[in-house]
Amino acid sequence: MKKKLTYLLLSVLILISCLVLAQMSTSNSYMNGLNLEATYEVGSDIVLKFSKVAGESPLIYLTSSYGSTVLSPEEKDNEIWYRLPSNISDKIGVVRWKCLSEGDELTGKFTLEPINTVASLETYIGPPSIEAGGTDYTMMVVIPTDSLDNPLPQNTLVNVQHQFLEVEESEEVATKHLIAFQNLYSKRESGRMLVSSSCLGEDSKEFSINVAAAIPVDFSISAHRPHHYADGNQITTFSTSIIRDKHDNVVSDGTYVNFLIANADGNTLSSSGTTLSGIATAKMIHPEKAETWRVTAMIDGIAESNSVVLDYEQVIEDFELTFSDHNRALTVGPLQSFMGQMIPDGLQVKLFIYKDDQLLEIIPKTSVEGYVIFYLEEDIYKNGDYRFQIQAAGMDKKIDNIKLW
Amino acid sequence: MVGFSRNILRTALIASYIGIIALIVSGVSALFSYLNTGADRSSMLHTEIKKADQYIPTVQWAPITNEGRPIDEENLNGIENDYLDAWYVMQVAYKTNTTAGIEDYFTDNARENIYKFIALNKEAKINIESTTLAHHPTLEFFSEDGQLAVVTDRGVVEYKSVYKDGISILKTKEVADYKIVLLLEDGFWRIRHFVKEEVEAYHPETIAINTDTINLKGINYYPQETPWDMFGDRFDKDLLLKDFMLIKEAGLNSIRIFIQYNDFGKAEVNPDKLAKLKIALDAAEETRLKVVVTLFDFYGDYSVLDWTLNERHAEKIVSTFKDHKAIIAWDIKNEPNLDFENRGEENVIAWLDNMIDLVKSVDSIHPVTIGWSNIESGTILKDKVDIISFHYYENLEDLDASIAVLKAAIPNKPIVLQEFGISNYSGFWKPFGSSEEDQANYHQKIQEIIAANGLQFMSWTLYDFTEIPKEVVGRLPWRKETQKHFGFINKHGERKASYKYISTQ
Repeated sequence: MKKKLTYLLLSVLILISCLVLAQMSTSNSYMNGLNLEATYEVGSDIVLKFSKVAGESPLIYLTSSYGSTVLSPEEKDNEIWYRLPSNISDKIGVVRWKCLSEGDELTGKFTLEPINTVASLETYIGPPSIEAGGTDYTMMVVIPTDSLDNPLPQNTLVNVQHQFLEVEESEEVATKHLIAFQNLYSKRESGRMLVSSSCLGEDSKEFSINVAAAIPVDFSISAHRPHHYADGNQITTFSTSIIRDKHDNVVSDGTYVNFLIANADGNTLSSSGTTLSGIATAKMIHPEKAETWRVTAMIDGIAESNSVVLDYEQVIEDFELTFSDHNRALTVGPLQSFMGQMIPDGLQVKLFIYKDDQLLEIIPKTSVEGYVIFYLEEDIYKNGDYRFQIQAAGMDKKIDNIKLW
Repeated sequence: MVGFSRNILRTALIASYIGIIALIVSGVSALFSYLNTGADRSSMLHTEIKKADQYIPTVQWAPITNEGRPIDEENLNGIENDYLDAWYVMQVAYKTNTTAGIEDYFTDNARENIYKFIALNKEAKINIESTTLAHHPTLEFFSEDGQLAVVTDRGVVEYKSVYKDGISILKTKEVADYKIVLLLEDGFWRIRHFVKEEVEAYHPETIAINTDTINLKGINYYPQETPWDMFGDRFDKDLLLKDFMLIKEAGLNSIRIFIQYNDFGKAEVNPDKLAKLKIALDAAEETRLKVVVTLFDFYGDYSVLDWTLNERHAEKIVSTFKDHKAIIAWDIKNEPNLDFENRGEENVIAWLDNMIDLVKSVDSIHPVTIGWSNIESGTILKDKVDIISFHYYENLEDLDASIAVLKAAIPNKPIVLQEFGISNYSGFWKPFGSSEEDQANYHQKIQEIIAANGLQFMSWTLYDFTEIPKEVVGRLPWRKETQKHFGFINKHGERKASYKYISTQ
């Protein structure tokens, strides 16, 4: 109440001083301002009236927020009227005017104030996605404007409402420097925050903020496989536990998880997956020979899992080699799996061909119905003695001095 | 025989055929290569933008204590650049009543306000040439996502020249406060709200500078070999020292030199030129000569949108040398009244008025003058300059009377006859010109007038020149030849008869 009184007193003082100033500046002049006021509301029909004097009525120069212009006088009875165009009278700010008459300077100024009703709440909110945990925040900026697109005066109250899970909150912020702003902090939980604002009975539309989980913490992994044989055919699937941040929020879908598989030779295989509901999966085909895999998953630079060790048992104990057709056809097989069944198609068999201890070629082929047949073309491999080496399922077989003819 | 001539015919036919084909091929290839020139792929994307400063008012940011997100240098520069560009496009829009560029710097809603003003002013045939000379922005707010900023720009000094039907009806300087909301939209900071919070007429106070100790007995100086190009490639300190010694020994105490606006790099003053100017001033100090530095030589635009560029030029030079002991006064512009006809008297005077304010704001010690080309112009801006300077090349008989008129109008400021002289050229282009004797008589007489009226003086000039650039008096040979023979010393380095009257002794 006391504050209000002070404001009232202050504005009355300003009004009086403006009037006095206007009086002072016009006192020596031959033209007198008749209806000059210190403030007007935007959108009103503003006519500056002066008493008429002998001679030609002068032009008037006006400068407002967005620009300046010069108006011509209208003569009415014994008065000179200057009717303000809407581009001046519709925008808030201080307007200075000056009559362009010879001799005495007749000048003054007045303030255009906004209509005190809200027509739109221009709302900007960002960043649109923040981290759960109570430290990150988004900022809502509201510019309440009147029907003529003028920002409302300082200290207009704007209500900022936001809803998150069970909680609905509302806070009042006052405009300052044409805008009102409010920081909205995240809670411990992830989810979606809905935000809106209202001012003098006008409501904004709804805005939503995505509160994403914070960075994940370490997690565990498991492996699933149809059998433990190294058949080069079945697939082992690795999956993570539900990956969460330190506040127990499930990480965002699509979080990239890298699975690294170290094998017995010390080489690393890699597979990857992205999370869905916190779980990422990745797959890897079984090895073709006995192997021990040590699997670890990591979200690069952020979190990692425990290690899982997997053993794969050799399935092909031995295989036969048969030469036919002038020794030019080499049949490898039958290749049999753990129950004696033919190994599924696709097992890789490599043939190394040597002549005079010179490696001529390596021919890789994959098995079809348990067999691999290599045919050595007469045009390429001339008649003579050759040495062969066959690699399959981690085994090596050598055959010396085979004569092609 | 028949076979022989047929062979000749064949050869001729084949040769002409080859010739024509060669011509066509070379024509087509020339056309092809022409069409390929310029279409450099990198230029298609306009990735390389050469930025020339068009608008550089002084900008002084208040210490950054904004609400919201702390701002970094890059964002602040981005805001400043786009904000100033917004002012610039707005000035151009109101000058020409066209809308080019407005949409880059004002949002959809804000630009409507400018379009309305343009429509109104166009209808009423009003054009407003304006510029802002100073900005004092304060960053009030920067949003967390870096997309919105609020700036209060206080003490914006605006100069406006208002025309109706092409006639100037008002020139005004105002100082205003603005509050601006800017949004970052597709890479541009665009103005969303623009509110004038305060505005007043602006009348900077001109502080008079004491000129009691100044008594100029001087000469306008250019080196003999390089007139109007004193700070060029042939700049030589030893030569300057030699000439300055000569001037000092002749009983003079000062020289007047000229700074060419373009030569010194316009708004971006060339540091090499400044270094040469310093050497020249040092040489003057060494020989105990004082220097009147004439700015803006060979500049003649005065357009309002050029003002900020001109200000940066003068500011750089004046601030660099204001403490130099050799400086005695700043001459804003040489003979600006010669531009009245082409550029408009009011425009030129407004420009000079503003430039005096600027120079005085930078240097509060040294007096300011303007080198008017005739004595009648001497009263223009008499309340703003500290020293009245005029040039006199007319009939000496009328000089006394003219001085009396000037003194009556300006009783209390020193008056300098800043250029005077006579050419002793007499030859093919001017058969009845003056002789060396006439020149000596002229100087004897004018020194008497100067002494009788208590004027200060700076004569034109020390040397006869051999080359006169076309910018000085044009290309006409009778003018050029005349201009070559104003010196007290001829082109062979011999003192003319007039040398006796170089000073009052």
